[in-house]
Amino acid sequence: MKEVLKVIDLKKSYGKNEVLKGVSFNINENEIKVIIGPSGGGKSTLLYCINFLTRPDSGKIFLDNIELTSPDTNLPKMREKIGFVFQHFNLFMHLNAYNNVLMGLVRVKKMKINEAKEIVENSLNLVGIDKKLWNLFPAQLSGGQQQRVAIARAIAMNPRIILFDEPTSALDVELIGEVLKAIKNLALKGMTMLLVTHEIEFAKDVANEIIFLDNGVILDKGSPEEMIINPKNERIKKFLGIISKEKENV
Amino acid sequence: MFESYLRIFDKYGPDIFSGLKLTIYITIISIIFGLFLGLILAVLKIYGPKILKILSSLYIEIIRGTPMVVQLFIIYYGIPSTGLIRFSPFFAAILGMGLNSAAYQAEYFRTAFHAIPVGQSDAALSIGMNRWKIIFYILLPQVIRITIPAWTNELIALTQYSSLAMVLTVMELTSVGKFIGSKTFMYIQSFTIITVIYVILSIVFTRLMVYFEKRLAIPGVSVVRGRGSIF
Repeated sequence: MKEVLKVIDLKKSYGKNEVLKGVSFNINENEIKVIIGPSGGGKSTLLYCINFLTRPDSGKIFLDNIELTSPDTNLPKMREKIGFVFQHFNLFMHLNAYNNVLMGLVRVKKMKINEAKEIVENSLNLVGIDKKLWNLFPAQLSGGQQQRVAIARAIAMNPRIILFDEPTSALDVELIGEVLKAIKNLALKGMTMLLVTHEIEFAKDVANEIIFLDNGVILDKGSPEEMIINPKNERIKKFLGIISKEKENV
Repeated sequence: MFESYLRIFDKYGPDIFSGLKLTIYITIISIIFGLFLGLILAVLKIYGPKILKILSSLYIEIIRGTPMVVQLFIIYYGIPSTGLIRFSPFFAAILGMGLNSAAYQAEYFRTAFHAIPVGQSDAALSIGMNRWKIIFYILLPQVIRITIPAWTNELIALTQYSSLAMVLTVMELTSVGKFIGSKTFMYIQSFTIITVIYVILSIVFTRLMVYFEKRLAIPGVSVVRGRGSIF
């Protein structure tokens, strides 16, 4: 199995607050790993560090055996290969759904607009964004639609891996399903993914491995079976208990 | 009473018209000059290397901290006295007002840049765009739209400020008014005419900008509601 991403001993502090205290893991091609854990545990920071939206303090990151953390790395070139889906979608507000997906192809990959057409349309179709929404601006779309356009924007770049930072946390409950379905579609296509989520059921469904990140360290990792159905670690048991209680309250 | 107005129009119509033309030229050319310089200053102040950041801030502070008349005098009388270069009054007026307006416009643009959520820049970085592409393709189209109301204000202000060109002997609208007054001793009449022309000109500029604002409007970006457009 080919290794896509490798993270070694990653550390990051904000002032005196050490958010990541040495995190290591790797992801192979076609694998889906899900990071779970309590808020403030460093999950988002970890994702932001992987494609250098936040600069890590130390540690090494490799993508296809090329070191991102080396000083002479061409960062934009590397980021192009790492898709990122944000909690708050972050669509380009002045561009309609179609042009949001087109932007990277034309301005980064230097494609002609008619060359990119097929890729844009396939990407939007894959996440279930209907043709009649293509001309709408982000402010005219629902949260679920916006997030699916954001996923299309990421996959259009044909990345080696996509990072998802709590893709459904900002959504109304009834919109979560459509976004999870789009992510599931990607999983079925064999996309390599690293996902931060609180959707435990979904994690159990798609993940090859679940990583529990708490207080800046990986407390435990393993198959969904070991981690969620029969967790041994007391801390994880407690966390899953809280999450399922919250769900019942909803 | 009407007769005196007609007499002025009859005799000085062409002068008034050429004064209006100069006023419009000075206003339009200097605001466009100020637009480009202002954008550059704003971008440097936010994204530039440290030295350019400081220089840009310094420029903005100095220009905003001195009267426009003083700036015009430095350009028209001060610089030629060093023997380096001499400007025509018209050119000096445009240069002075453009340089002045740039400082104010830079601040309008700067606030607009800051008004765009940082997440959009993160997203642009994540698809492999570099800083300049992000500024050009992601931020600028939004900055322009956010700034239009403030920019309209600047255009109207500059229309009135263009009258300062008279201190450099440019025969723009206000100079013409004064000239007619001194020739005919009908100061009230001549300046009433000039006043009405300024008001009409300002209203035309405002309506024009409102039209552009609506024309370029994008839901979620612009302040006004419009029918949406591509840019």
